[in-house]
Amino acid sequence: SIQPVYGAQHPPLDPRLTKSFIKERSKGNVLLMKNKKASSFHEFARNTSDAWDIGDDEDEEFSSFQTLNSKVAKATAAQVLENHSKLRVKPERAQPALSDMPTNCKIIKSSSEAQLARAPEDACVRSALHKQQSLPLRPIIPLVARISDQNASGAPPMTVREKTRLEKFRQLLSSHNTDLDELRKCSWPGVPREVRPVTWRLLSGYLPANKERRKLTLQRKREEYFGFIEQYYDSRNEEHHQDTYRQIHLHILGSSVPASLFQLLSLREIFERILFIWAIRHPASGYVQGINDLVTPFFVVFLSEYVEEDVENFDVTNLSQDVLRSIEADSFWCMSKLLDGIQDNYTFAQPGIQKKVKALEELVSRIDEQVHNHFRKYEVEYLQFAFRWMNNLLMRELPLRCTIRLWDTYQSEPEGFSHFHLYVCAAFLIKWRKEILDEEDFQGLLMLLQNLPTIHWGNEEIGLLLAEAYRLKYMFAEGPGLGLP
Amino acid sequence: MRGKDDEYDYLFKVVLIGDSGVGKSNLLSRFTRNEFNLESKSTIGVEFATRSIQVDSKTVKAQIWDTAGQERYRAITSAYYRGAVGALVVYDIAKYLTYENAERWLKELQDHADANIVIMLVGNKSDLRHLRAVPTDEAKSFAEKNGLSFIETSALDSTNVETAFHSILAEIHRIVSQRQITGQQEPEFGSSTVIDPIKVLPTHQEGKQTPCCQNI
Repeated sequence: SIQPVYGAQHPPLDPRLTKSFIKERSKGNVLLMKNKKASSFHEFARNTSDAWDIGDDEDEEFSSFQTLNSKVAKATAAQVLENHSKLRVKPERAQPALSDMPTNCKIIKSSSEAQLARAPEDACVRSALHKQQSLPLRPIIPLVARISDQNASGAPPMTVREKTRLEKFRQLLSSHNTDLDELRKCSWPGVPREVRPVTWRLLSGYLPANKERRKLTLQRKREEYFGFIEQYYDSRNEEHHQDTYRQIHLHILGSSVPASLFQLLSLREIFERILFIWAIRHPASGYVQGINDLVTPFFVVFLSEYVEEDVENFDVTNLSQDVLRSIEADSFWCMSKLLDGIQDNYTFAQPGIQKKVKALEELVSRIDEQVHNHFRKYEVEYLQFAFRWMNNLLMRELPLRCTIRLWDTYQSEPEGFSHFHLYVCAAFLIKWRKEILDEEDFQGLLMLLQNLPTIHWGNEEIGLLLAEAYRLKYMFAEGPGLGLP
Repeated sequence: MRGKDDEYDYLFKVVLIGDSGVGKSNLLSRFTRNEFNLESKSTIGVEFATRSIQVDSKTVKAQIWDTAGQERYRAITSAYYRGAVGALVVYDIAKYLTYENAERWLKELQDHADANIVIMLVGNKSDLRHLRAVPTDEAKSFAEKNGLSFIETSALDSTNVETAFHSILAEIHRIVSQRQITGQQEPEFGSSTVIDPIKVLPTHQEGKQTPCCQNI
């Protein structure tokens, strides 16, 4: 039976719809939905940008859900999706961040192209992208295509809804004791960039809920971090740490960091320090390729507090040493909190990843047998593509702005990085089911899976992905081998 | 899905191994796409690309696997050796340690790959003349001693990249076609003790386009 799930009120399951549907559920309906789902995903995608509105402030209980069997839950979810797709809604504010198109790896920046991905030519753009991707190209996922979600410049004026949401965040954040449950609930559908830095510090458990204690905590933690540096950083050239440092030094350039940022030596050093200190304080895992990517979202988000323009174009040397030190320490601590939850991903032989890849395979075999069998037929192993999905938390598959949005939710969802991520991966895979089923040999499949065309993705796509992941978690959670942390 | 490009007589799986940072990914991209990226991201897990070339009027399709070089990943990458008929063991001519480690990578091949895998030692970054740390002669004699072929390349300026891949593919092809001519019963790439037999039969025997090394 269905287990109660945290935060059930945030995802797009409207209790009203649920109830009415339970009354009149019919098998025919279920089948219809099932067929419809695959073909109309894009339509669905375009029409449900407000998925998060529904039931946002409803206090309706979901207790009735607990007694439903999974079949009903499935049908219900299908019904909800169907109802959503019928709703014509006003588009959310245009996101300039969606404008990224690959042109020789350079990023188009003019906001006149902001509508591109949303325009009716959407399909053409996608198919063009896909065509390009099916050629043997280097993955063209931009390291950080554009992070304007994180920046004020060029953003259109806020809608009333956004203003209200922001107000709600401000209220929560400024109260004497921030209600963390409430903050998680509000953050699940995405955190407004204005309050993202402080919200992330709270969600990660780095900052205390008590407002008065925050300033002192920050001060103490930042001092503690620089204490570590004083204590350990000089040892990077000693024999037993040399290897760790060499690896980090090498990989920094290969991080998902705006290349322009890394032209600055000081930034490179910041990342090296963060990673080195983390590695030597966690000898069971040490530094592992991929961890370097995980610093970036924190760093960019905390940097955004001080940057009005695009982070990419920002000259970091304009920042005071103090500010840079704060960003560095905060990034270290938040990354540490994140890694605490997924440490077995990086211990010897990476058991966490092996386990999760297996779990993904098992999950997909139940969610979408056709895709699963397609992989088997062409002898594609999940490890061949999903290893990276787990090791780098999909960061290599998505533009950075999408990772940042994804992490809003991961930090609001219990065991977001360690467990919910599995469902996100499943949803992500199924998102490409049509493209997958179109490929009819091993190499085509692998090339596709290594180069999934997400370059134009923005908040909307991530919102849908998360909604689908949530639905999957709801319906498929009780499977074998999935009761893992 | 399949165009003319996808017609081939042979499909050979080749793996690139060696320490991280020696330029494996750039060798792959230089050979398969004629691209080079100074700031390429570190490889996570494996990456994969193909290219077809002509060897003795046959079309040979190379399926090249690029693996992460970091030690900790070896537990995982070993799965990727299965079915490989060729391996390029890459080191950086400017970093002696990466050359020393070639021995460990050979051991890795012994443990995980087919016993008859064709191995080539590749000293990459030959453009870094002024920084050379590994003398050519030393590497050459090491290769001879271990029965490997040897070449120095530069993915950056393209030197010898074509030659390296062509010669390993030609060598694999030579072994395979020799087997055909002699009608040898015992397969050259045989069912070793650990893994599935590697099927390097020419695909035209079973009809064109039948991939032969897909049990990867």
